[in-house]
Amino acid sequence: AELKLSHQWSTSDVRHKIAEIVAEEVAAADVDLEIKIYPSKSLFKPREQYRPLSTGRLDMTVFPLSYAGGERPEYNLTLMPGLVKNHDHAARLNESAFMDEIEALMAEDDVMVLVHGYLAGGFGGKDRCITSPDDVQGMQTRAAGKAFEQMLAAAGASIASMASSEIYTAMQTGVLDAANTSSSSFVSYRLYEQISCYTPAGDVALWFMYQPMLMNKSTFEGLTPEQQAALRAGAAKAEAYYLEEAKKADAESARVFEENGAEIVQMSQEDFDAWRAIAKESSYKAFLESVPDGQRLLDLALAVE
Amino acid sequence: MDPLTLGAFVAIATVLILVAGIPVAVGLLITASAFIAIFDGPGALEELPYKFFSQLDNFALLSIPMFVIMGAAIASTRAGADLYEALERWLTRVPGGLVISNLGACALFAAMSGSSPATCAAIGKMGIPEMRRRGFPDGVAAGSIAAGGTLGILIPPSVTMIVYGIATDTSIGRLFLAGVLPGLLLVGLFMVWSLYATWAAGQGGEALTRRIYSRAEKFEVLPRVLPFLAIILAVLFVLYGGVATPSETAAPGALLCVLFAVVIYRMYSFTAIWGVLRDSTRESVMILFIIGAAGVYSYMLSSLFITQEIAAWIGSLEIGRWWLMGVINLFLLVAGFFLPPVAVILMAAPILLPIVTTAGFDPYWFAVVLTINMEIGLISPPVGLNLYVINGIAPDISLRTILVGSVPYVLCMVLAIVILCAFPGLATWLPDLVMGPAIGGI
Amino acid sequence: MSHALPTGTDKPRPETRLQRLVGALSTVSGVCSATMIAAAVLITCQMVVVRYVLNGSTIWQTEAVTYLMIAATLLGLPYVQRRRGHVQVDLIPEMLPRGARRVLAAITLALAVAMIGLMAWHSYDVWKLHFDRGWRSGTAWDVKLWVPYLAMPVGFGLYLLQLIADFAAEIAPPPEAR
Ligand code: NA
Ligand code: NA
Repeated sequence: AELKLSHQWSTSDVRHKIAEIVAEEVAAADVDLEIKIYPSKSLFKPREQYRPLSTGRLDMTVFPLSYAGGERPEYNLTLMPGLVKNHDHAARLNESAFMDEIEALMAEDDVMVLVHGYLAGGFGGKDRCITSPDDVQGMQTRAAGKAFEQMLAAAGASIASMASSEIYTAMQTGVLDAANTSSSSFVSYRLYEQISCYTPAGDVALWFMYQPMLMNKSTFEGLTPEQQAALRAGAAKAEAYYLEEAKKADAESARVFEENGAEIVQMSQEDFDAWRAIAKESSYKAFLESVPDGQRLLDLALAVE
Repeated sequence: MDPLTLGAFVAIATVLILVAGIPVAVGLLITASAFIAIFDGPGALEELPYKFFSQLDNFALLSIPMFVIMGAAIASTRAGADLYEALERWLTRVPGGLVISNLGACALFAAMSGSSPATCAAIGKMGIPEMRRRGFPDGVAAGSIAAGGTLGILIPPSVTMIVYGIATDTSIGRLFLAGVLPGLLLVGLFMVWSLYATWAAGQGGEALTRRIYSRAEKFEVLPRVLPFLAIILAVLFVLYGGVATPSETAAPGALLCVLFAVVIYRMYSFTAIWGVLRDSTRESVMILFIIGAAGVYSYMLSSLFITQEIAAWIGSLEIGRWWLMGVINLFLLVAGFFLPPVAVILMAAPILLPIVTTAGFDPYWFAVVLTINMEIGLISPPVGLNLYVINGIAPDISLRTILVGSVPYVLCMVLAIVILCAFPGLATWLPDLVMGPAIGGI
Repeated sequence: MSHALPTGTDKPRPETRLQRLVGALSTVSGVCSATMIAAAVLITCQMVVVRYVLNGSTIWQTEAVTYLMIAATLLGLPYVQRRRGHVQVDLIPEMLPRGARRVLAAITLALAVAMIGLMAWHSYDVWKLHFDRGWRSGTAWDVKLWVPYLAMPVGFGLYLLQLIADFAAEIAPPPEAR
């Protein structure tokens, strides 16, 4: 049999690597199963992938789950400011009752998780450093994700929406003063050439995004037990690798920025708490208004130590 | 069936359906649906509307109608004629000033329009009759404007560069800058040929005679062309001065050009303004429909793994990088004969760009080479939009004469590609100067 | 030669009453399309002013403009068809004798009717799905997606009508055209 796996990243990205690990393990298991990887949004556009995945048109994807927030508003909790503190906390969240609820929602759409994983991100300012909410006053900011737009707007930033590939030029010409995105995007778009001050994800970080490898559930269940076992084994190996690489990516991005002469600052616990207080009044509130069952889910997530 | 054989079948089916005379976009949809239905099952056809919608679901595509409006607004006025007239009066010392002026006007107009047919029509409406009246051969009069019009997609802004930027995730701002010097190179080559052809046709005597203008005559036309320069400068400021992103720039540009037509050329009537909008809508919808359909077609190619296998196959060819570039050019040229530029770019760029960059070529340089190939397609049969435009504005010049007159300009473009291969800096120097070195190869 | 009419040659043709009605619908659709493009220009300019001059947030504009452009494209299809503005390769048809050319034209129009019919039909399903499920765009503006998706069944539907009218004119031209 043959499975189609689609994702949006280049072949040098860690998220392509985990797809490759699973594909190679499955091929090595020799269970008559082949995974065809379609990288760099060559089959589906990033936000487009969840729907074909749930109808079985697409078999597998590596996918930021909050992209499907328009279909399932509950998924917005997987990109909520301050909900995840660091990578070990994220790993515990993956095993929690909160994640069980999210997976139950996916199951309703005939989708299941093969590989869990969170990636972190930070802030970059063209001329000024960003640690506390006061720093973003009046800055034209491009944020990754609706919840972050809401929080930054509440902190007094101006929100500009554009494709991530436009951030570099927009900063260069001065359209944009600041950006918030994943550590790997900061590096792959060479934003260190434009940013003078970088706030990487460290001991505490605001921006964590759940980006699992997903599979169509019926397709998985239609496979032979040997094929399923091979997929599971590959997925376990990929998940361990994913967590290691996710931790490395933050430090690596900080190193690249430092090498290129950018100032590196860290967010303190007080900064983090101040941001979360603002988020509670803005993005959390908006989330609770849009999801009837929201408070219970939020409490489940916050209960994870 | 292996993907390469399948690819050959797809190519044959596409050519057959297109030459039957069906709208290009519909032909692409039909080919795509047929192969999707056969190889992914008829159920997979439910993806068609999604792929069409998502291909168009891109803010940067907005700039296509905007840049078309810029051209159409100015083309609806006497501005094109004013432009070449001013150039001619100021270029009195240059022999053959009129054809030189017309080509110069094409280049200047191209700096305000993103599309080639608009450039062609704007300058040609007055330029072609005037050149013929002054004794230029029909072939030169028609060919120079047809070719000069193609500069619309090379000299920024450019609809095809935007589509290339979207298809390859390259910077539209850089792409625009990359087209400037090669555009000027082409204008120069066109001018040289036009003068030589006129002289060789034995019509040099009358056509190339210098006309002398008085100082008053020279200054009288200036106020009419200054607004042109003002618009170009304003758009450059918006684009590179931190006012807007490249994809947003087109909107203030379009508004400026409409205001320009209304204020300077007194286009007060609602009907006239509506006419501009109507013509722009027609051209934009035609282009955007092809883009949407090409999205469905590329999905079919990618889903059946044809794209990936062709790329791997070309990559595995044991040939030198310049032979590779030659093969790619030949492919683009042939594709350009049959398909409109945006369709070729959307289908070919994602396949070719990785190969081209792996072989050590610059993606912005390649965008320029690709665009010149597309320009050739615009003045060659069977789909040659500019030839059609010329036929429309000068119906008494036979299509044969237009075609034959265009051939030397095609050769000029081929020569330009050769020069670009020898001096890649022509494309990369300006973007590097203005925007710093390219980001990680892209 | 190719056949695309940015400069336009709108030859009036004899039409039946029904064909005139379909033509009028296509024209109205084209007017909507042009209006949407004009609106997109103005909204984008407004966005640039809000951000550059007022240093304010621009949340909904990019998305609104994108959807307007999609709708403009789809609603423009029937109008461009009526004005014979869709680019096509006329190489073979122009080499054929008159009779054969008309047969070929009827065949390609029938193919186009089938293709656009398929698009219209599946587009309706897509629209219905988004309407029933209440799916949103998931952005800060969070538009109900059935609104922009509505342009697909409507645009392809009107395009289909215009194609059918053209097909009818091709196989059975009104008496005065014979
Ligand atoms: Na141009
Ligand atoms: Na051609």
